[in-house]
Amino acid sequence: MPSSTVAQTPSLSTYLKSLKHNDIETSIELFISLLKRRQIKNARPCAIATINLLLRVVGESRIRDAQQLIERIREVGRRLVAAQPREMTVGNIVRRVLEAVREVAERDQDAANGGDSGSISMPSTPISGEPQRRPDYRSRFSEFTPLQGISTQPQDMYARAQAPGERPGTSSSFMDNVAQRPPMASSVASYAGQAPSTTSLFSILQQHPPGRSPFATPPTGTQSPALKSSPTRSEESGADKFDMKAEAINSIQDIQQELDDVDNEISEFAQDHIHNNEIILTHTSSHTVQKFLMKAASKKRKFTVFHAEAYPNNHLETYATIINGGSANSQDADERWKPLTSMGITVILIPDSAVFAIMSRINKVLLAPHTVLANGSIVAAAGASTIALAAKTHRVPVVVLSGVYKLSPVYPFDTDDLVEYGDPGKVVDFQDGEFMDGVDVVNPVYDHVDAELIDLYVTNLGGCAPSYLYRIVADHYRVEDIDLSAKAEAEVEGG
Amino acid sequence: MSEPTKMPEPVQQVVEPKLSPAELKKRAKAEKQARRAAQKDPQEGPSSAPALATNGVHGEQKIQKQSGPQEQKPKGGQPKGQAQQKQGKPGGQEGKHERTNSIQQSLPIRGQPAPTAPPKELPKKDRKQVELFSHLYTQPRRHDIAGASNNVHPSIVALGFQMSSYEICGSSARCVAMLVAFKEVIQAYTTPREVSLARDLTSRYLSPQIDFLKSCRPISESMGNAIRWLKKLIAEIDPSTPEQEAKDYLCDEVDRFIRERITVTDQAIAALASGLVKDGSVVLTYAKSSIVEKTILQALANGTRFRVIVVDSRPLFEGKNLATSLMHAGLEVEYLPFSGIAHAVKEATLVLLGAHSMLSNGRLQSRVGTAGLAMQAHKADIPVIVCCESVKFSGKVALDSIVLNEVAPSEELLLPKATVSHPLAPDRKDDDDDDNRQVRSLHDWRDIPGLQILNLMYDITPAEYIRMVICEYGNVPPSSVPVVHRLANESM
Repeated sequence: MPSSTVAQTPSLSTYLKSLKHNDIETSIELFISLLKRRQIKNARPCAIATINLLLRVVGESRIRDAQQLIERIREVGRRLVAAQPREMTVGNIVRRVLEAVREVAERDQDAANGGDSGSISMPSTPISGEPQRRPDYRSRFSEFTPLQGISTQPQDMYARAQAPGERPGTSSSFMDNVAQRPPMASSVASYAGQAPSTTSLFSILQQHPPGRSPFATPPTGTQSPALKSSPTRSEESGADKFDMKAEAINSIQDIQQELDDVDNEISEFAQDHIHNNEIILTHTSSHTVQKFLMKAASKKRKFTVFHAEAYPNNHLETYATIINGGSANSQDADERWKPLTSMGITVILIPDSAVFAIMSRINKVLLAPHTVLANGSIVAAAGASTIALAAKTHRVPVVVLSGVYKLSPVYPFDTDDLVEYGDPGKVVDFQDGEFMDGVDVVNPVYDHVDAELIDLYVTNLGGCAPSYLYRIVADHYRVEDIDLSAKAEAEVEGG
Repeated sequence: MSEPTKMPEPVQQVVEPKLSPAELKKRAKAEKQARRAAQKDPQEGPSSAPALATNGVHGEQKIQKQSGPQEQKPKGGQPKGQAQQKQGKPGGQEGKHERTNSIQQSLPIRGQPAPTAPPKELPKKDRKQVELFSHLYTQPRRHDIAGASNNVHPSIVALGFQMSSYEICGSSARCVAMLVAFKEVIQAYTTPREVSLARDLTSRYLSPQIDFLKSCRPISESMGNAIRWLKKLIAEIDPSTPEQEAKDYLCDEVDRFIRERITVTDQAIAALASGLVKDGSVVLTYAKSSIVEKTILQALANGTRFRVIVVDSRPLFEGKNLATSLMHAGLEVEYLPFSGIAHAVKEATLVLLGAHSMLSNGRLQSRVGTAGLAMQAHKADIPVIVCCESVKFSGKVALDSIVLNEVAPSEELLLPKATVSHPLAPDRKDDDDDDNRQVRSLHDWRDIPGLQILNLMYDITPAEYIRMVICEYGNVPPSSVPVVHRLANESM
């Protein structure tokens, strides 16, 4: 437990404080127990805790080799994900960090080789070794993803050839990645090793040096523009590794910064979507949605908000958000913002059962998810599926506001698994012993909402349709990181 | 209004001091009219802000109640008022808005303190009503006996309060309770001389009772049909019948009505519907319908092995009562809050619903939330069956849940104060206090401008979600509702 003298309920803020004193192993164990006991829950607190923990892990590691660092992060990530598999943000952040570290490692390796090995050298295995083997269906969360065939490497290579040093996933390289169409998945999945690339029409159109598969390790002779961060050859390996670690830490801090800015970036798009005299329906106490609406209100838009209270799991927080805005609470330590009503917006509180009744007057539905899945569907607070279905019935657009950190590369084969069941005592008090004895009380905390019911995603990178999410996933995660298990790791190394 | 006040001024300047109290009186009268119009038109409050060249302090107080920073800026109030005016769909408001505007513009003097006591509560109360449903806020519900006509029979008074406190809740129960109380009322009645029972009983005696009941809680469709039937019955009484005989006849007929149209009908419907429950069925139902309960108990009595899922909602938690009684009867019951509907429809094989009324366009009016449940069940391809006596069939039509509904007092949605443990309180740092913002709870909702709480009682389920309606005439599709209504309710 943290060494603070005041006994406080363990939560995100106490954990962050304790990170400063405790050693790594204790911090990891503490986080795992917080996850298991659900003292840290919801996407953003978990993401913040994970990124801070991984920052420390990377910062304190005395690892010489990039590959070892990656393994260390994978090992930590494995334990965290196993602690609470339904908290998918934890896994997302781990994979983002892995992507950042890999990218830094490749950049440094490139620089160490004097930049004569093509833009970025491949990781130790050719990527095509992966896709032909599906990961074992070990957990009920399948880690199979439709991305297996779509490698991020090749067009990254081309993108990086054009714009050295830029990371995919930042908005400027968006267009670069979009411009390159990857070869079709089917052409890759069935081949091993260096596959000829001529089966796909698109690959014919790509500019390959003749006779080389886009997935093969590029020959060392290919030149690329020198990268900006090329240290001199005379530097020792120690300084190189230190450089790599510092850059890895920088990249991770970029991710941290992204987490902090995500609400502000999403609300930048508020003006495009919220206009005068609209009637908007929303649900739960999501701060992202509130800030989105506040931004629209601050631009002098006058609209009405129907707010469903999300009983029994979230209603108290919803009331607090409606009445007091973002008051100081343990999750966002220094954030404070006024409630919507103080900006002249009419907010109408309704119980969840009234959603269908008023839907005929609603212009737009705003939802904030718990997790976004790679096929465009979401896992959101219970009640969201009724809302989305009612909106579909009445032809009301459903807009989902979510940061990219909530986007998971995992594909939902078993949607039942994604739903967590909560405390039945919130539905019926345990004091009501006879009732609790005789009746089976169930309290689902989440709902799965299919991709067909969602019309638009607004992320910190902009708006997109549900069908486009797989590309954003491809930009932010590496294929080899999707499966964090040790077995996959061994095969990556062995293959 | 402006002409008479302006005209005397230049001519009778000597008499001015005498006139100014009269002027003040006239202005006060005009303000009262404006206020009364404001009370009728909920959008009037903010939109009167721009034209408040006249009302001075009174107007300023109004504006302050609504939006603090905009106190001295009529311009600021105006776009807001107009925006809110547009938001309210009923078109008739525009005419009213202009009318009161013209009244205010006619008062020429700016900045005079209003002699009448400014009613601070009025603008607030108006904006606490959701504009979409402004046609449903008829009169505030009665909570005490003050103001009731002295004709109201004590059993009606008791019934009224039982209904408004939801002790008697549910369309069939209310109908039966009302008819039973009417029997006592009829027996207590004496015909005055020179008047026939047939005419006098309804107009002078029964109507105040009905009005009292309406003031406690809007009456249900079944109650409406029963009242119509009773009035028709009374009107057909032969004037030559002796009074006691007539009263006994009426009471017998009421008993027969209750028996035929509710009690026996319920048994028939239960027998029909329980045949739909097979071994291994999982029956899903919503809130508490007396007839669905009877159906389930009948199916249990038939020896069928099945289980029940009950979905419940705030604020009435009627489903909990149903789950308790079914549990006592020995059934396997699963109980979920409304947010758990997606989970409930995964396992259900049959949905049984009760009704407040069936509308003539085939739609079902039932407890709010039923439509959501029917929609999810329809998506999962589960048959949705409605059990409804013909006394609840109605000639009305509705396209959505806004036109026909009942808005209950918002206070019923507030959780009891004791259980509201504020999630913010324990984690607050001490330096929050200098922010001058208190942490308020939902109980302060009336003080927060712009915050409204909507407590709907019913919603309308589209006919395509309903597979079948079971009534005493048999199993009918929802499109046959107007036919049954004509048969049962209009040609008696």
